[in-house]
Amino acid sequence: MDKLPSSEAVDADKQQLQQLQQLRELLLGKDHQLIADVLQRHARGMVGSVLTEALHDRQKQDGTIDKVLQPIVESSVEQSVSSHSDRLIGYLYPLVGSLVRKSVRAFLTDFIEKTNQLLENSLTVKGIKWRIRAKQAGVSFAQYAASQTFVYRVEHLLLIHRETGMLLNSVNYNEHNSSNVDVISSMLSAINDFVADSFTRTSDGNEEQLQTISTDNFTLLIKPGPYALMVAAVTGNAPQQLNDKMQIILENLHRLYDEELRKYDGDATVFTNTESQLRECLLAEHKDAEQQKKKTPWMALVLIGLVTVAACWWGVKWWQSQQLEDAIREIDQQPGIVLQRLSANLDQSVSLDILRDPDAIAVDDWLQQQQIQVPSLNLRERHYHALDGVIVQQRAQRIVADFPDVVLQWQGQQLVLTGNISASGKPNLLARLQSAGFSESDNLDVQQLGIQKLNLDSNHSVLQQMFKQQVGKVTVIQLDFDVASDQINASAQLLLDDVSLRYQHLKLLADSLGYQIGLVIIGTSDQSGSRQKNERLSQSRASNTESALIVLGLNSSELYSVGLGQIEVNSISANARKVLFNVIYLDNIESKEGQEPQ
Amino acid sequence: MIQKKICLLGTSGVGKTSLIRQYVEGIFDKKYLTTIGVKIDKKLVQLEHQNVQFMLWDIEGADRYSVFQERYLRGAAAYIIVVDQSRSPSLIEGMDIHTLVRQVHPCPTVLAINKSDLETRWHWNSKELADYKELFDLSFHTSAKTGEQVELMFTELAELLTKER
Repeated sequence: MDKLPSSEAVDADKQQLQQLQQLRELLLGKDHQLIADVLQRHARGMVGSVLTEALHDRQKQDGTIDKVLQPIVESSVEQSVSSHSDRLIGYLYPLVGSLVRKSVRAFLTDFIEKTNQLLENSLTVKGIKWRIRAKQAGVSFAQYAASQTFVYRVEHLLLIHRETGMLLNSVNYNEHNSSNVDVISSMLSAINDFVADSFTRTSDGNEEQLQTISTDNFTLLIKPGPYALMVAAVTGNAPQQLNDKMQIILENLHRLYDEELRKYDGDATVFTNTESQLRECLLAEHKDAEQQKKKTPWMALVLIGLVTVAACWWGVKWWQSQQLEDAIREIDQQPGIVLQRLSANLDQSVSLDILRDPDAIAVDDWLQQQQIQVPSLNLRERHYHALDGVIVQQRAQRIVADFPDVVLQWQGQQLVLTGNISASGKPNLLARLQSAGFSESDNLDVQQLGIQKLNLDSNHSVLQQMFKQQVGKVTVIQLDFDVASDQINASAQLLLDDVSLRYQHLKLLADSLGYQIGLVIIGTSDQSGSRQKNERLSQSRASNTESALIVLGLNSSELYSVGLGQIEVNSISANARKVLFNVIYLDNIESKEGQEPQ
Repeated sequence: MIQKKICLLGTSGVGKTSLIRQYVEGIFDKKYLTTIGVKIDKKLVQLEHQNVQFMLWDIEGADRYSVFQERYLRGAAAYIIVVDQSRSPSLIEGMDIHTLVRQVHPCPTVLAINKSDLETRWHWNSKELADYKELFDLSFHTSAKTGEQVELMFTELAELLTKER
C-alpha cells in the first residue's frame, strides 16, 4: 500500500518549484514569457514535422505506442458504434452487399479471364508460336508471355544493405520466392563494388554507381541510397514513373529505418514490415491496355455458352424422360399388372418389364387410354394368374358369357349363377370356373342354376346319339401301370379325372333318356410272374381305380371292378398292364337291356 | 535468421575455393573469381538455439605484389585467412594479408591451415606456430580433401559471432 506523502515532503516539493521559478527569472528575465509564447505558436508545426518518425521510433523502442493507442481507439470505436449504430448500419449495409457482389463478380471475371487465357495460350496459333519462341529463347513460357503481354512488369524487387551486400527484404510478382535471391543480392553488390573500383571517380568526387543492367529478358534498375540499395528486375521498358516511385520509397525507408540500417548486424527481421512499401513498386502495364480492356473473352464465352446449351438440352431431355417414366410407372396400379422394371432413356425410348394377367388391359391399350406417346417401347411381358378382385370378376364374366342363359350375380366376393344351362354345358362351365379360381366349396354358388329339360320327343334320338358318343369316349380310355405295380401314377390320375367328368356327363344324359347305367372297371396284367399273382394284381389294379373314382365323386353303387388276370394274346400280352372301362346301360322305358362291347 | 558476411582470403592455390566447394549452396561459376575477383556462396550453419546464414565471399587470391579488393571486405563480420601447410612461404604470406586486413577492417579472424592431409613442408616449430595462431580468434587444421575440421570451423565461427551479439 502506498504511503501518503508527509507534509514535510510536500513542503520540500513546493520549495523546489519556487527555486526553479526563481532560476528561470534570473536566466531569462522578461524573455521567459516571450520564448514560451513563441514555442507555443510553433508547437504544432514542430511536432507535426517529426510526428510519424517519432511514433515509429518510440514504437520500436519500447512498443508503448500500440499500448497507448489501443484503448483510445477501442473506446472511440465503441462509443461511435453505440451512439450511432443506425448510422453505422446505414454505412455498412450498402457496403456488405456491394462487397459480396464485387467478390462474386471478381471471381467470375477472374475465372472467365483465366479460362480464356488458358484457351488462347494453349489452343491458338499465337499461343503455340509463343511456346516455340520461348523454347528457342531458353526462357519459360510465363516469362515470354509476360514480355509479350506487358509493356513492362516489375518481377522482383530487392532491398539490399549497401555495406554488407546482404538482402534485407524482397518481394516477387509471382508470390514465390527464389531461394537464391540472397546470393544474387550479394553478387550484385560485389559487381557494383567492382564497377566502382574499376572506373575513375566522377568529377564531383562520388564513386561510379551502376544504375542499370540490361539483359535480353530483364532490366535491373538499381537505386542507391546511403545505407541501402533498391533493385528492381523489370521485364520490358521501365518508365520514368517507376524510377520516381523507387526513389520515393527508398527515401521513405531510409527515414523510417535510419537507425536499423546504420546499425545492421545481420538480423533482417526488423525489415519484415518493409514488404508493403516494396510492393508499391511492383508495377505493371499491359500492352494495348485500351484494346485489351475492350476485348471480349469470346472463346470462353462460346465455350461456356456451348456447355450451358448442352446442359440445358440434357436437363430438358432428362426432365422429359423422368416425366415419361413417372407417367408409365402408374401402370403398376392397374389390376392384373405388376411392374418389374422400367427405364426411360433420354431419347424417349422405354424399356418395360411386366407381369400381366391375360384378362388385364393390354399395355398398348393402356398407353393409348392414358394418351402417353412412347416413340420406342421395348416390352417384355410374362403372363401370370392375378387374384385381384376386378380381374377375377372379369375372368368369370368372360367364361359365363359363353353360356347365354346363365345369369351372373355377385354377392360380395361370391359368384352366384342363376338361369339355365344344358346338361352337357354345366360340367364344362364348372370346369372352366374351377380353373379360373372358383369352387363350389368357397366362392361359387350354382344351387339356383337349373338344368334345361330336353324335349324327349323331338330330341330323343339326338340324346341317344350323344349318349353313345360319350360311352365311346369313356371306353377308349385305358390306364397304364408299371411292372408288378397296382399304384395309380400321375398320368393315370389325369385320365381318371377325365373318366370322372365324362361319367358324370353320361349320368346326366342317362337321366334325360331314362337309362340306368353302371361303370365296369377291368384290371389286366402281363404274363410275367405266376398266373395267380397276375390275377391278384389285375384285381388289385381294378379295385384301386374304383377307390380313386369314388374319391372323385362317383357313386360306389354304380361301379364294379373285376380282375381278368393275364391276357393270353401274344401280340399284347407282354405289356397288358392296364385298367379298361366299359359302361353298362339299361333302357327303363323300353325295358331294353343293352351293352356296348369294346 | 541472422546473416553474416564472411570473407575468405589467401594467396593463390591455398585451396580457398576447394575448401568451401563441397559445403555450400552455390549458383555462380568459378569464372567470376577471375572476372570480378569474387565469388559468393552461402552456407547455413545450424546452432543449438538459432541458425546463422553465412554469405561466403571467396575473394581472388592475392600475393605480395597484387592487392586484393579492399572494397569486398566492407561489412564483413569475420574473415578467414587460408594458408597451405605444404608450401613453406604460405604462412608468412597469410600473415601479411592478415596484417593488411587488420588495418582496414578490424573484425574477428580465423586461421585455416589447409591441406592437412598432405605432409608439412614448412619449418615452423609448434611454438612458433602457436604464436602465430595467437594472433587469430580461432584456428583450424583443415583439409578440403577429407573435410577435416571444415564444418567445425564454420560452426565455431558462427558461435563466436552470435556470442558477440
